[in-house]
Amino acid sequence: MATEMNELLLNGLDRAVELMVVAAHNSFRFGNRNTVQIARLTTEDQKEIAEFCYSLGDMSPLAARDGRFLMELIKEPCALLMFGDKRKSDFNFNCGACGYKTCAELNRVDEMESLTARGPSCQFKAINLNIAASAAASMAWRLGLHCRVFSTLGFASFALNKMEGVDMAVTVSVSVARRDPYFDRHQFWTDEHWDETFNKEFPTFTRGFIGAIEQE
Amino acid sequence: MSVERSIKQYEEDRKEAARIAARLLLASATTSPRVGGVGECTVQILDDECHIEDLCQAIEEMAGENEKWDFFKRDAMMLRDADAVLVVTSIRCLTDPADINCNMCGKLTCEYQRQVPKLTREAGIAYTGPLCLFRANNISYAIETIMSTARNMGIDYGVFWSAGAAAMRMKLVPKNTGFCLAVGISITEKSPFRDIPKKYADINEAAMNDRIIKRLWPQFRSIYS
Repeated sequence: MATEMNELLLNGLDRAVELMVVAAHNSFRFGNRNTVQIARLTTEDQKEIAEFCYSLGDMSPLAARDGRFLMELIKEPCALLMFGDKRKSDFNFNCGACGYKTCAELNRVDEMESLTARGPSCQFKAINLNIAASAAASMAWRLGLHCRVFSTLGFASFALNKMEGVDMAVTVSVSVARRDPYFDRHQFWTDEHWDETFNKEFPTFTRGFIGAIEQE
Repeated sequence: MSVERSIKQYEEDRKEAARIAARLLLASATTSPRVGGVGECTVQILDDECHIEDLCQAIEEMAGENEKWDFFKRDAMMLRDADAVLVVTSIRCLTDPADINCNMCGKLTCEYQRQVPKLTREAGIAYTGPLCLFRANNISYAIETIMSTARNMGIDYGVFWSAGAAAMRMKLVPKNTGFCLAVGISITEKSPFRDIPKKYADINEAAMNDRIIKRLWPQFRSIYS
């Protein structure tokens, strides 16, 4: 009997996600230290992340939009990969990028807690983490999946403690929706809201004559 | 030493291939993802062997500045065999934090991060942090895309932060560059970036050529003729 298209898509998505993890896991690392942790988050997790992002509302319009977007995204088959790593340096590069002269100094300073990440972090740990995310995205691109790298969802999944023992996180979302859901997401704004925000963020500065007072 | 015409042609084409490949890799790096779509990275191509040699000497000079940078000498020796070097920069991470208060730098907010004094430019310091990690992370997308495309095209590559740091010292990059990495590419039958023996800074193809062919062989020839 012929296999249903949806079943094929779902199976394909599962295989693709596995291959993305393989590509990410085997990708280049500075210092030959592969400490990046990778996990596929469940649909329930994604719902939770979406609600959390949406709840940030005015504090972060970007996160709120991505929250609303994720709510829509999970209605069609999709997957969210989370990448996380520790913040302390195990490289001994003493490069200075973190603001401390030596790695030992960075590892000694007090940890700073926050919703989005724990700092201060080693720059090369962050680079290794994002190289893994990018390798997964490259693989998704090659396999023909819709794909986007999300730091907003990464911060949210960190805040919700979706991965144990990591200090920073980033996510890669893939989808086999009927159309690419990740770009040109106009449906999340009304025209009025868009106009209002645009005019607020980018005032025209076109004044009638020098010294004119802008109206509130 | 005479070389067959066809072999000479092959050598020229091989170098031309490296020049073209470097530009295609630049295209790939440029179109790779950027957080929030904000322009962050530039790519500088060094494909002249004299320029690559200048860079390698700068790397070697830096090796002595910090006891942890001993491997810089090895990196320089590997890069001498590269046909082109792509220097990828992050031009906002030093002066223009992303204003999203992510705390990856450990300063809690970008406002606090701006107030923290940067490390001074001096010997033994490669990057004058604290940098905006969120901005600098963009460089990993550019670098990974270069690697990914290079793999697709069957081009050997090696990634080096030493060369990035040296390119900053040499001022080959935009003036606001805070973080910089480099990718060497090679189009040769044996990748110069793999199978690196121990003591590679001293024992390598150039050194062995010098020792065996340039030094011993003429002596042997003078005596046994």
